[in-house]
Amino acid sequence: MRRTPDSPRRSICSVAGLAAMLCLTACKESAPDPKTQIGAKPDLPAQQQYLLPPMHVASVVGWKSGETPTVANGLQIKALVSRLQHPRSLYVLPNGDILVVESKAPGTEPIKRPKDFIMKWVESWATSGGDTGESNRITLLRDADGDGVAELKSVFLDHLNSPFGVALVGNDLYVANTDAIVRYPYNPGDTKITAPGTTLTLLPGGPIDHHWTKSLVASEDGSLLYVGVGSNSNITENGIEAEKDRAAIWEVDRATGRWRIFASGLRNPNGLSWEPQTHALWAVINERDELGPNLVPDYLTSVKDGAFYGWPYSYYGQNVDPRVQPQRPDLVAKAIAPDYALSSHVAPLGLVFYTGTNLPASYRGGAFVGEHGSWNRPELNGYKVVFVPFANGRPNGPAQDVVTGFLNPDEKSRGRPVGLAVDKSGNLLIADDVGNTVWRVSPAGR
Amino acid sequence: MQDVIPVTARANPASTARIASHPIHPMLVPFPIVCFVGTLVTDVAYWKTAEMMWADFSAWLLFAGLVMGVLAAVAGLVDFLSNRLIRALAPAWLHLAGNAVVLVLAFFNALVHSRDAWTSVVPAGLVLSALTVILMLFTGWMGWAMVYRHRVGVGNDA
Repeated sequence: MRRTPDSPRRSICSVAGLAAMLCLTACKESAPDPKTQIGAKPDLPAQQQYLLPPMHVASVVGWKSGETPTVANGLQIKALVSRLQHPRSLYVLPNGDILVVESKAPGTEPIKRPKDFIMKWVESWATSGGDTGESNRITLLRDADGDGVAELKSVFLDHLNSPFGVALVGNDLYVANTDAIVRYPYNPGDTKITAPGTTLTLLPGGPIDHHWTKSLVASEDGSLLYVGVGSNSNITENGIEAEKDRAAIWEVDRATGRWRIFASGLRNPNGLSWEPQTHALWAVINERDELGPNLVPDYLTSVKDGAFYGWPYSYYGQNVDPRVQPQRPDLVAKAIAPDYALSSHVAPLGLVFYTGTNLPASYRGGAFVGEHGSWNRPELNGYKVVFVPFANGRPNGPAQDVVTGFLNPDEKSRGRPVGLAVDKSGNLLIADDVGNTVWRVSPAGR
Repeated sequence: MQDVIPVTARANPASTARIASHPIHPMLVPFPIVCFVGTLVTDVAYWKTAEMMWADFSAWLLFAGLVMGVLAAVAGLVDFLSNRLIRALAPAWLHLAGNAVVLVLAFFNALVHSRDAWTSVVPAGLVLSALTVILMLFTGWMGWAMVYRHRVGVGNDA
């Protein structure tokens, strides 16, 4: 916590600090500006342990007719399709068809403690976006004339198991369900796949399956698949044995299904993507909760082969988390800090590098990040799409807000951004799983 | 054995919250006592093993102990407020005040136990669990004094 030098403010701050220690209320403390937690060296305040963690989730109001998110100068935004069922991620096929992965949490996580009742109840506020219908399917959209309205909408694959990642290699389409990577035959122009899938590799799934989204990307030569496998808890409260092979990015051999752990200590890695200049693997990671409104910053990082990024034992290198026992100083010593903090609790779930030419030149080569938004801090954070400029394959400068307005002025949620993609014409696509919409961001005036 | 109380003695302080002349409060108090003692046991087990199962037990025991403890408190409070003879007893006041503190400690302990993993128990949860049990030894003693010495809720026609 930062203290201001003038004494009246300081006494207010110490009262606030006392209240925070007693945590009788989710008090608003004089927090570091989230902007000081963006970039390579974020401010990391002292850890807080709560009696009552702050729980502030934007309740859902949805998009009223004519409402859209707000975009940065030089851009415009339009709904490509709405009335979806919890769209979580997007994939653009070579012919320009867009796959929208509509997916719901498996809902198999057992109630292990009285707390779990309350947490499920709080989370239900945030996801009640009118999505009561069928989900767990992939919908294909075709906008052949490029006017930003999909003429064709077809159920491409149905009855999936909480799917998230999609990758196409040749005629093999891979879908990362929460419990397995499944391969389907795909021919260009297909609007529906009826052939049964073939399981390539089983992935850690239920029954707990705390972080269930399995992000997927194929290597550029197509021989390997990389899949993000999130942790099975916030911070090992389901036991360390539940974390076997989790909080990691797996490398899967496409021919045989054999896999190994490519990198670990990544609490919930999503948005696996190739940086266009260096061809390195990058991802966005959701860091741990309940250590304070400004801990721990979520991040964007290159993912190095064999590296350990700290979870659960430490964060940003050697900052030890006291909640994990037995501790592992040997692993903490190995832990490396990520490249670029995105600030705390923003919940990045989507990442795409912009290699198109349609949007203004300043976006070329940089990364768009979809921030689903916070629950574990009094002041909401995230709920927007930001742009991180890159130079020479590294982040270069502060993140800029590109798409905002997912919150209305009363801090109610109209929508929440998740997965991102770039369509064939170079427009940015955003899956909004609370607004049940796919948004298309294009250059203004075109 | 013959009853030694003279027939001219005052009647025993009667319980108001009762079923067929059986006071409700002593039927309920074993639940919070056992739950809060159990919490200390499972907290110690977690402290020694770091096995999450024990911490989960503690959280449930605190939850059940609080629910049953509030019910026991309601029955006890009805007896206390309804009978001047009970309010005249010093142990009754100590029993009431002490057990109010027990419930407050257990409530904060439940919040501590809602944290994730190690710090949900060690050290704050464990200390609160131990304080709760120590305090219950005293409040239990006061409760027994009310029944076994002052015959609160004991029938007159033995």
